[in-house]
This record gives sequence, structure tokens and C-alpha cells, in this order.
Amino acid sequence: MSAATPDALDRFGESLAERASPIVVKEVRQGLRTRAFWIFFTLMLIACLVIALVAFAASAGNDAGAGAFGAIFTVLAVVQFFVIPYSAYRSMAREQEDETWVLLTLTGLGPRRVIRGKIGSFVLQGVLYASAAAPFLLFSYYLNGIDLPTIVVGLIFAAAYQVFLVSVAVSFATLAHSKMMRGLLQFAVLALLLGATGMGKGVGAWLMELFRLGTFDDELIFGCCAAVFAMLSTAVLLFEAAASGLSLTTESYARGPRLAYLAQLFGGTVFFIVGWKVMTSTGFLVGGAVIAAVYSTLVGTYVISDRDGLAANLRAERSSVFSPGAYRGYLLVAISALFVGAVFLALATTDSDMRHRDLRMIAAAPGFALLYLSLPQLLARWLPHAASQTPAMVRVVSLGLLVLGVGLPPLVGILVAEPDDKMLNLLNPLVGLINISKSGPSSDEALAVVWAAALISGLAAYVSLKRRDR
Amino acid sequence: MSLLEVKNVSRFFGNLRAVDDVSFSLEAGQILGFIGPNGAGKSTTMRIIATLDVPNQGEVILDGKSVVERPDQARPLIGYMPDRYGTYDDMTVFEFLDFFARAYRLKGAERQKRVDSVMEFTGVMPLRDKLTSELSKGMRQRVALGRTLLHDPKLLLLDEPADGLDPRARIELRELLKALAAQGKAVLISSHILTELSEICDTCAIIEQGRLLATGAVHEVLAGARGSNTTPHLELELRLLDGSEPAVKWAERVLLEQPHVKRVVAGGPLLQVRLELAAGTTLTPTWGDETCAALIKALVEQKVPLCSLSARQLDLEDAFMSVTKGRVQ
Repeated sequence: MSAATPDALDRFGESLAERASPIVVKEVRQGLRTRAFWIFFTLMLIACLVIALVAFAASAGNDAGAGAFGAIFTVLAVVQFFVIPYSAYRSMAREQEDETWVLLTLTGLGPRRVIRGKIGSFVLQGVLYASAAAPFLLFSYYLNGIDLPTIVVGLIFAAAYQVFLVSVAVSFATLAHSKMMRGLLQFAVLALLLGATGMGKGVGAWLMELFRLGTFDDELIFGCCAAVFAMLSTAVLLFEAAASGLSLTTESYARGPRLAYLAQLFGGTVFFIVGWKVMTSTGFLVGGAVIAAVYSTLVGTYVISDRDGLAANLRAERSSVFSPGAYRGYLLVAISALFVGAVFLALATTDSDMRHRDLRMIAAAPGFALLYLSLPQLLARWLPHAASQTPAMVRVVSLGLLVLGVGLPPLVGILVAEPDDKMLNLLNPLVGLINISKSGPSSDEALAVVWAAALISGLAAYVSLKRRDR
Repeated sequence: MSLLEVKNVSRFFGNLRAVDDVSFSLEAGQILGFIGPNGAGKSTTMRIIATLDVPNQGEVILDGKSVVERPDQARPLIGYMPDRYGTYDDMTVFEFLDFFARAYRLKGAERQKRVDSVMEFTGVMPLRDKLTSELSKGMRQRVALGRTLLHDPKLLLLDEPADGLDPRARIELRELLKALAAQGKAVLISSHILTELSEICDTCAIIEQGRLLATGAVHEVLAGARGSNTTPHLELELRLLDGSEPAVKWAERVLLEQPHVKRVVAGGPLLQVRLELAAGTTLTPTWGDETCAALIKALVEQKVPLCSLSARQLDLEDAFMSVTKGRVQ
């Protein structure tokens, strides 16, 4: 009977491994064999034990739980927000360095399953660390001074933040194609994770303190939900973009990132609308419209930058805005940006508290988005060199145009007139938008000019992209 | 129909024509040696066949399916081994093969059976619990070869598999590949070690600067190489037991009376003999052996005190140098 239990456990383990993703099984096998895992695991346990003993000794007559929980949370933050995401980055980068990546893709697993497996396995390692620290977290509860809901809030925040950071790290690693890029990324990821660890620890502690003090009002809960949504949806978007970047042109690589883009855009819109309704503040509609426009321009350009046309096998199937190709991507982002802008404008007109100047700003934002979405597509395709038409170059042109659009008119303004000269800054996505929101009849004219420019460039981009879509 | 047909494949990187209008085919059970200097386009061609790259022009058909248009359908038929073997240092031999077997969607007992049979075939069963980082290069290469066999592919693409191996490991690899070909698998193998290839391959393709210069059965390519600059010929070196002048003169006279013999240069007991294929005669793979046998027979009958005879036949190395005009990069 005594031997039956280990056998049953073995069988359970085997059946679990049989069902799990091969990548998860591999990463767990490899992860548990690394020295880094055992060193950090042991250090974490020792640190938790010391914190618990010190807190217990200091607990006589005091509520030492909050302090103990904060200290254990800090230890966990180092592991969860730095060690694990960095290990995930290294694991993915090593697949590229050792050229094992191609072998994985040939198995038929595909980039999405491989990256999902990588993220999943490191989140699982995080769960392993967290479960080892769980008795100490529970112990801090018994030391009084902290309640269970606060602990739960802290852990939910930590889990969402860790998934986000692991996704960021793994997605970054997929960009490491060359030695130089790998070197640059290594430093970038290290710096990013160090900053993110400090920030995560600080924000986590702040949230738990607010919760503990009972100052956790509806607005804060709403803000937390929005932050968790932003983190998780960004994680999904990065994951999809990374998988897409590693796919072959013959695969339907554009669907994932475009769907994730739409989900984040519409999900974010819903959050702003809920915020406007619940907190009855018109600022949510103005902010929502502007952020949606900025998001469409920056993230949209990144998501839709694609080669012209699509592979022969995909051409045979019925294409949609989710099929590869710059033309379809442009249609999707332009239409969705205009649609979201229209939703905000329609809601704003129903709000009696909405000022006219804010209404103008809401109306102008999608115009600027359309303008700065269309111009890089046009410009990249008008340039004579074939290299300018690559997705990477379109992104560079887009960023360059934005920087020029924001920075050049004020610079010229300093030389010839005022830095915020209305004429000079008419198409400036920052100063121009602010100028439009200012009172005066010229603002309405400026709004009309922005929309005219947006529609002309939009139409030209549409025609140009459609013509090249073979 | 051939198992693999590469038709007019081209791949450009900017202005560089990495692969330029390359066409060849491969039958099941055949081993094709893909020969070319570094940067000739071997690896790019192999990557295109392996669905890892897409050609700018041309088509690759594998078992009747388009590799370019349906890579998902072609992949299960391909076993690809890159020049770096792609083993995970921190996994044991069993774990490594088991992982890839899982990735190929093999389940439970079937997976176990397949992994065991691959380990048996490649001879790594005694090493199953060793970390791959602890294996010799030859053994790691066997593990990598085992990985390519897990899903029982019809086509094996081996990019420089013999590179860096010691002579023993090379011979073992050769035997493994011959056994695989006997099982009906088509093997496309690239290598710099041309003497090895000539012993393994039935057919070969010589590529340089992205262009295929020669392709076909090894003896056809050799014949083509001979024909490319000189009459097909054979160089022999004879050593006589007796180095005296009469014996050497007698040997010279007998040799010059034999068919195909064009030139005899004597230096003491050593005689350099050049044989050339007569015009209008078809070159066969056994021409060299048959000519040598006839020559030995004639010399013995004419009582020439022959001690030894060694022939230097044109091999793949010569063919390669001849076809590429020696422009090794």
C-alpha cells in the first residue's frame, strides 16, 4: 500500500506530462536542471524564513503581518518580475542563437505554440516559486495587520504583471536575429526588467496599502481593472506580433496580431466609455478619443506594416482584412480608427456637459490618426528604393514623420513666428490638436483642413496599396 | 515521378543571387551529394526545400506536393539537420529525442517505441541518460540524425553532417546513411569532404555562385568533368621488380602496344602511364577498373616484372575542381 502512492503520483505526473505542451515539458525539465533555478529558489526560501522569524519575534503585541507581507512580496517581486522574465528571455534567445528554433518550427508546432509554451512554462515556474512562498504569506496573515483580500489583491496584481513581463521578454527575444541585435537587446531587457521590478514592487505595495487602509474606492478599482486589462492585452498583442514575425509568408500570420490589436482598441474604448458613464466625467471621452488615435497611429502602423500582396496559397482562399498584405492591414486599422473616433464623437454629442472645444478635439483626433497612418504608407511606396517598402522601413518612416510632424513646425515657428503658430502647426499632431481645441472660429477651419488632408492622403494610400496588392 | 523535384528555383537577397535557376530531382532511396564552396547557395537551397525560406522564383515539389505553397503538408515528409546539430546541452539524449517526438505529436507507447528504435538505429541507446553536452561531436551528430528520423520522413536534408567529424565517425555516418537509403529514404547531403561524398552518393549536384554547374549520376558528372577540359583519361603508376634498362625498355614497349595507352614516362623502376579513352567510345563507371585489369593481364602474359600498379582515377574532388574551374571561395 505504501508503494502505491508514489506509483499513483508517477502515473499522474506522466499523464499530466502527456497532456501538456511539449515545450512546457521541455522547459520545465531544462529549468529544474539549471543552477540559477535552485540558487534563486533556495535564496528565496531562506529570505522568506528569515523574514518570518524576524516578524514573529517582533510580533509580540504588534501587528507585524503587513510588514512581513511587504518584505516577502519584495523578495517574490525580485524573482517574479526579474529572474523569471529574464530566464524566459534567455531561453527564447538561445533557441535563435543555437538555431534550434528552425527545428522546432519544422515539427509543426508553429511559432504560436512555441511562444505560448515558453510563456506558459515560465509562468508555471513562477507558480512554483509562489507556492513555495505561500506558507510564509499565510504566516504573515496570522501575524495580524493584513487581511486576506489585501493579500489576494497583491497576488492578482503580481500574477498579471509577471505574465506581462514574461510576454514582453519572450517577444523581445524573437527580435534577436543578429549578434549585434542580441547584444543590444540583452542590455535593453536587463534595464527594462530592473526598472519594471522596482516599479512593480512600488505599485504593488501602494495598492496593498490603499486596500489595507480601506481607501480603495470605485475609481481605484476601475483603474486597477483597466491596468490589468492593459497589461494582459498588451501581453497578448506582443505574443501575437512575435509569433507573426516568426511565421512564414505562406502562413496566415496577420490574423493574430490584427485580432489582438482590435481587441485592445475596442476593449480600451469600452473602459473609457464605462469610466465616462460611472464617473460622469467628460474627460474620459476626450482622453479616450485622443488615446485611441495615438494608439491607432503607433500600434496600428506597427501591426499593419506588411509586404504588399500575399502568398499564392493564401490568394486561393477568400481574403479578409485579417489576411496578410499591407492593403488589408491598412483598411482594418483605418476603418477601426475612424469607427472608434465616430463612437466617441457620437457619445460626446449626447453629453450636455461636453464643451464645444472638447468636441472639436474628439472630432480632430481620428483625422490626425488617418493622416499619420496614410502618409508613411504612401511615402514608403513612393521612394524609389525597394528597401524603403519593407515593413521595417514603413515603421521607421512612420516614426520619422511623427517626430517631424511634432518637432519641425515649432522649430520653424521659433525662427519665423511663434512656436505654436496656428498655420505652421496645422498638421502637427500635438500642437495642432491642442490649437484646434482652443476657442475661435479659425479652429473650425483648422479642423476642416485636417480632415481634408486626412481624407486625401487616406484615399491616395488606399489607391496606392490596392494597386500594389498582387 | 521523382520524390523531390526542384524546378528553376531562385532566391535573391537584394542584388545578390544566392540561388539562381537551380533545378534537380531526387528519387526515393537515392543519396544526392550537394557540392559547392562556402556561399555557393547549398544551405539556402536546402532551407527552401525544408520550407524555412521561400524562393523568389521556381517551385519545389515533394511527393507531389508544393513545398512553397503548402509547407504545412510538406514538413511531415522532411527530416532536416542543419550544420549546427541543434541539440540542447542541458537535456539527456532520451529527453531530447522524447521532446521532439512529443513535438511531432507521437503519443504514449508509440512515442516510447519510436524513440527506442531511433536510439537503437543510431547506436546511442547506451548513452540515453547522458547529457548531450557530455557527448563527443560524432555522438551528438548521431543524436541529431536520430531527431530527423523520429517522424519517419521520406526526405532527409543533411547540411554538412560530416563537418568536424573524426574518420571513424565519418565512416559510421556513411554506413548509417547507406542503411537509410536502403530503407527507401531519399537523402540530400551537402559536404566539403568530397572523398566521403563520392563513397556515399549515387548522384551529385555541383553548385557555385548560386548556379548549378553539373548534376546527375556521379559517373556522369565525372564524365562531364573529364569532357569539360580534357579527353577522359587515367593516370597509372607502375613499379617494376627489376629496374635495369632492358627490363624498363621491354615494359615500355609492351605498354605502348596496349589500347588506350598514350604516354609512358620511365624513371628507373617507376613508370608513369597515361591512358585515354578512345574517341567514340562510351565512358562507363567501370572503364578505369576494366582497363587496369586488361593492362595487368597483358603485362603478366608478356613477362614484364611487375611489382605494383596503382591508378589514380578522377574522383569527385577532381570533378568539382574541373567543373568549378577551381574557383573555390
